[in-house]
Amino acid sequence: MTPFWRKLRVLFAVQFAEMTEYRAEIIIWMLSSTLSLVMMLVWMAQAAAAPGGEIRGYSPGEFATYFLATWVVSQLLVVWVAWDLDFDIRQGTLSPKLLRPLDPIWQRYMDHVAGRLVRFPALLALVALFAWWTGARFTTDPAAYLAALGLAFLGFSARFLWEYTLGLLAFWTESSTSFQEVVWLVYAALGGMFAPLAFYPAWVQQIALWTPFPYMLGLPAQLLSGKATLADAGRGALVLAAWLLVFWTARLLVWRVGLRKYGAVGA
Amino acid sequence: MTRYLRLIRIFTGATLSAQLEYRANFLGAVLASLGEAGVALLGIAVLFGQPGTTSVGGWSFQAALLVTGFFMLTEGVISVFIQPNMSKIAEAIRTGSMDFTLLKPVDAQFNVSARNLNVLRVTDLLIGAGLIAYAAAHLTVTLPGVLSAAVLYLSAVVIVYCIWLGLSTTAFWWVKTQNITELFNGVFGAARFPVTAFPVPVRALLTFVLPVAFITTVPAQAMTGTLTPALAFASPLVAGALFVLTRLFWLKAVASYTSASS
Repeated sequence: MTPFWRKLRVLFAVQFAEMTEYRAEIIIWMLSSTLSLVMMLVWMAQAAAAPGGEIRGYSPGEFATYFLATWVVSQLLVVWVAWDLDFDIRQGTLSPKLLRPLDPIWQRYMDHVAGRLVRFPALLALVALFAWWTGARFTTDPAAYLAALGLAFLGFSARFLWEYTLGLLAFWTESSTSFQEVVWLVYAALGGMFAPLAFYPAWVQQIALWTPFPYMLGLPAQLLSGKATLADAGRGALVLAAWLLVFWTARLLVWRVGLRKYGAVGA
Repeated sequence: MTRYLRLIRIFTGATLSAQLEYRANFLGAVLASLGEAGVALLGIAVLFGQPGTTSVGGWSFQAALLVTGFFMLTEGVISVFIQPNMSKIAEAIRTGSMDFTLLKPVDAQFNVSARNLNVLRVTDLLIGAGLIAYAAAHLTVTLPGVLSAAVLYLSAVVIVYCIWLGLSTTAFWWVKTQNITELFNGVFGAARFPVTAFPVPVRALLTFVLPVAFITTVPAQAMTGTLTPALAFASPLVAGALFVLTRLFWLKAVASYTSASS
């Protein structure tokens, strides 16, 4: 095992222990992101009231399946690193981390990965409860689950990198976390949190295909609903991999320029 | 009473001068407000964008927009008046500075509720009011409708304030409660749509268990003249009852307060 992987493993163990301390908070955070669930209930009522009992081929049960799936995927994609960076840079707690023989991004990344693992059991329990209540039906194909998980992992890494880059803007501005709110809106809209992407006007769909968003949120959700194929997943993975490279380069550039600007607190 | 009004003026002046120090934050606040307005509008835009959809839960697009307007306005009320104060309660208890608040010859609940303002988020209030005016211009609204909507919205604000205060007061026992208000935000997210847009069992939940319906749907119904008298009376009643309950809860919490060091 190379020293790099050993460092990562130790960081992960430490961050996992820290995350389990916050398990009550984690459940509260999970329950407080209700946008998919609100949209699910509204679309279900809309479909039930529509003539024929469906909208664009979606029955209430299929809406439930799609939105519950987006809820699960969006929980796996949750990233809060911009807030951490904002704090680290403003309070100067970044300084001791710079002395370590490893880019501070890895500690944050491991902290986020650990957060996902702590969430997972509660996530499964909640989604089983909601599925039983709303009549959602997920696919039975194990390959679809693996593909969805893989896409969610790539998507999480991409989102982590762009949020990290935005968080680094705290080197220059005091309001870096508000940029992230606007980017979140684009991600939620084009990712398909308000409705499946097919419900949007054609020109919006055209634009969305060039962004990473539909492949990280809508596509895994469609895989879990049994409405997307493994070939779709493969194409999505390629697009996400390309975006990962873009975000990684952007992050590296902003980090190098930002560090020169950083003077720590009181310096 | 005049003493309290004077205090409000002094508090507002102090918090304004403290906030306007950070002018760069204004851009961030505007971005955040635009983001929230975007989420609220996209939600209904996609719903109404489907072929053949003319109403959601019996509400036309303009009427649903009215609900969204009240939603944004309430987000503004929360981020300008309520949240900046309530988020400090837990901190004051943790650090022990609540002692000073309780020793002052002013009602402590008033002091913790009125001391701070976040002027930067006034944009939320403006966007909300703008949306309401825009939607109302496309609907037939009467003067009595607008007046009753104003009264009912006032009870909506009282309801929101009471829920936040109640949740924040639990900090006297649990100390770490900033996260509990996140739960309120999650439930409140449902208020961006008229309550009739939800399946029937959820509708009852949002009216009687978590009084979300009274915050945005009821004032909007009053404005369009579709409000049932029962709901019109229920809203101030709920607000009054909640106010008395949270007041009692607050007094009980203060009585059990033992400061940070003991």
